[in-house]
Amino acid sequence: MPAVVKGWRLLLTPTLSRHLGLALVAFILLLLLSSQIGAYDDYTLAAVAIFVIATAGLNLLTGVNGQLSLGHGALMAVGAYSTSLLLRGHDLPLILVLLLSLAGASLVGAVFGVAAARLRGPYLAGATLALAVGLPQIATRYSHVFGGEEGLTVPPPAAPSWLGADFPPERWMAWIAIAVALVTLVLLGNLLQSSVGRSFKAVRDHEAAAALAGINVARTQVVAFVVSSACAGLAGSLFAYWSGLTAPAGFGVALSLQLISAIVIGGLGSLSGAVWGSIVLVFVPNFTSGMASSLNLPSSVGNNLPLLIYGAVLVVAMLVVPYGIDGGLRRLLALARARWAGAATNHKGVVDWDDPAGS
Amino acid sequence: MQRFVVLTLNGLTEGSIYAAMALALVMIWRATRVVNFAQGAMAMFTTYLALFSLERGAPYWLAFVIALLCGFVLGAVVERVLVRPVESAPPLNVVILTLGLLLVLEALAPMLFGGQIRSFPSAFSIVGIRLGSLQVPFSSFDLFTLVSVLVLMALLLLLFQRTDLGLRMRAAAFNAEVSRLLGIRVGRMLTLGWALASLVGALAGLLIAPSLLLYPTYMDQVLVFGFTGAILGGLDSPPGAVIGGLSMGFALSYVGGYFGSDLETVGALVILIAVLMVRPRGLLAWRAQRVV
Amino acid sequence: MLEIVDLTVAYGPVVALERVSFRVAEGSVMAVLGANGAGKTTLVRTISGLVRPRSGSIRFDQKEISRLAPEAIARLGIGHVPEGRGVLAELTVEENLRLGGLWRTDRADRGTALSEAYELFRPLAERRHLPAFTLSGGERQMLSIARALSARPRVLLLDEPSLGLASLVLIQIMARIKQLVQQRQLTVVLIEQNARSALSVADDAVVLSLGRVVAHDQARRLASEEGLRHAYLGF
Repeated sequence: MPAVVKGWRLLLTPTLSRHLGLALVAFILLLLLSSQIGAYDDYTLAAVAIFVIATAGLNLLTGVNGQLSLGHGALMAVGAYSTSLLLRGHDLPLILVLLLSLAGASLVGAVFGVAAARLRGPYLAGATLALAVGLPQIATRYSHVFGGEEGLTVPPPAAPSWLGADFPPERWMAWIAIAVALVTLVLLGNLLQSSVGRSFKAVRDHEAAAALAGINVARTQVVAFVVSSACAGLAGSLFAYWSGLTAPAGFGVALSLQLISAIVIGGLGSLSGAVWGSIVLVFVPNFTSGMASSLNLPSSVGNNLPLLIYGAVLVVAMLVVPYGIDGGLRRLLALARARWAGAATNHKGVVDWDDPAGS
Repeated sequence: MQRFVVLTLNGLTEGSIYAAMALALVMIWRATRVVNFAQGAMAMFTTYLALFSLERGAPYWLAFVIALLCGFVLGAVVERVLVRPVESAPPLNVVILTLGLLLVLEALAPMLFGGQIRSFPSAFSIVGIRLGSLQVPFSSFDLFTLVSVLVLMALLLLLFQRTDLGLRMRAAAFNAEVSRLLGIRVGRMLTLGWALASLVGALAGLLIAPSLLLYPTYMDQVLVFGFTGAILGGLDSPPGAVIGGLSMGFALSYVGGYFGSDLETVGALVILIAVLMVRPRGLLAWRAQRVV
Repeated sequence: MLEIVDLTVAYGPVVALERVSFRVAEGSVMAVLGANGAGKTTLVRTISGLVRPRSGSIRFDQKEISRLAPEAIARLGIGHVPEGRGVLAELTVEENLRLGGLWRTDRADRGTALSEAYELFRPLAERRHLPAFTLSGGERQMLSIARALSARPRVLLLDEPSLGLASLVLIQIMARIKQLVQQRQLTVVLIEQNARSALSVADDAVVLSLGRVVAHDQARRLASEEGLRHAYLGF
């Protein structure tokens, strides 16, 4: 008996328990939020959660490990198509489908990751971009398997009966997505704190130094690619459930570029950056298309306004907050802390110029 | 055999366009270490400007020159106003910035010029040339495409290899700090590099528009294939860009012709990965490696 | 000629130079000595505009230059041979040399300067059309100095020319430079870790330690001061 307790103590490191606690609180808050909002907003919330999974994985690869991928949309496609094919004519439990889709994407990611480990910077960008362009075409080519341009339909996950007959399916989708996203974040958070996470960073910062320190650079890069692909596969699987349809058009280059732009805008190299980026990714187009339709513009202007604004947001964000929202917030926090500390030492009769009243 | 000739000629014409695009990307990469993902969108925009001029009654050649000049100016403005301020930011930022610019231009074009697909005139006949009784699948416009890309490349070669200005531009691209110590105004050279590269891109946009038709995203695939070509040849090598771009043209033409056009991009992907597995820094990377 | 007054340079919180002052007379060689990390390279990089000082001033012919861009300073006639030589390896020897004086409007004299450079450093003439990465270390050093000289500078900043060079080659190069100082009134600021050889060619010298000037005197006198030699110059 004591041995078991001791084992638990070892497993439950301070970081892990902190992450678990945070995730639990977030889960309860988000469920409460989800129950208060309408079906459409639940649908949006689910989208954010799904993108969080994909961008968190991508941020681990690009932000933490330094491998640029412009093709993560294609790995999401692998997850989505796995799900759609598994559910074709079968009724498999959700958790099994998720895990199998994750495995499928990891496999593709491992193969590609081995190839990618030799490539650097723009060469890796080019190879992954080619993946994003090329892979969806396979779906069109082998349309008898993948359903061609029309794609494959996916039934929405059914809410368990104990939630009541009129429980909105969008809300159930949101709950699933939120739960999976939080589990992913906790797992990734622990991975980043571990020696594996440190070796990811070491390889990014200085390959030669990492190799000298005994880190197998190529293997580390492949591992990062596989973990990141697993996340993309998971997100892709949920995306298939969420949209109800898996078609090549949904997984074009645009998706891959949205993912990479999300992590840079949110903040490279941190999980919170992935969360911020996903919020921007989902809400900016939502907001701008609502605005465009309410403005009564000519259709050629109104239809393109959201794209224009999204592009402009990317450009301006790079000029104004080069380290992303996460970096900007950290800076504000540091400034506030400095102010606080400054005020604390200053209050013996010294006037704080920013706050002359001394309040 | 006849099919092979058709595909080869087709590959040559398209390849010259990809080569021009690849060259534009390589020129910018060498000068500022930026992959300009907005290169295709910039060319799209200047081609729309040419169409705009044509519709206002400008003769073809005037519209042609207007588009090239606008490309030149657009490149300079983008470098000076957008790219220079993010020089010291993390390298991914400028990637996102050019992606943002791509979206802005692709949204702006339909707002200004209308979103429907437009045809774009060609300077010469697009019917195959007749040699005696034989009609070859190679039109006067194909010939014009090939010749104008070759002429532009020759001019650039002269500029870079034979003039003081070209020497300054090369020095600024290789080592900005040393160049500044030698009294070279590096900022101006980089702006000029972007301007010239965008002019090359604008030419590619004008030349491919008659066959692809004009719509806001028509240059996207040209950009992807041009980028693939540049990577294939090695991003630091202008001759590599030309070879890589031409190879892409041939490869896509053969894959499309023998295996079906829906496998074109998959074929490109396979070729790119295969080449990168053997030469991770492109075909003509030996020079860059030796220097480092 | 070149006057440095109270120059302070910092990289973020790290102070690299603190209130450094000295002046260099026209037609003389000033050696700047000190151990690794003393701030020698920072000093020349600040003079040529690559590093912005936090405070203090740098005057060249009574003109304040500490806020000018490096390319503007080069065009005033201050040549800088950087540490590690800064040869553009992808360009040919001749292209490297031409770059030196490319900003000058006197085209005829640019040609003259080129042939003078080949006369001064003969090994370069034989390799004029080869890419610079084929050169040996000594030849690269020659090329870098010849390139700076072909702009006909009035001040030459030499950063560690002895690094990685056989002493015989170094002696030859320094002899050539000494010649130019006498013939053309060239002013040289010579950064060296190898104090003994630097003091043998310099007229005056300053010794830097942790960013401060700890000694400033005629080179002859510094070389004979036992205590200083042991403490800072290591011979």
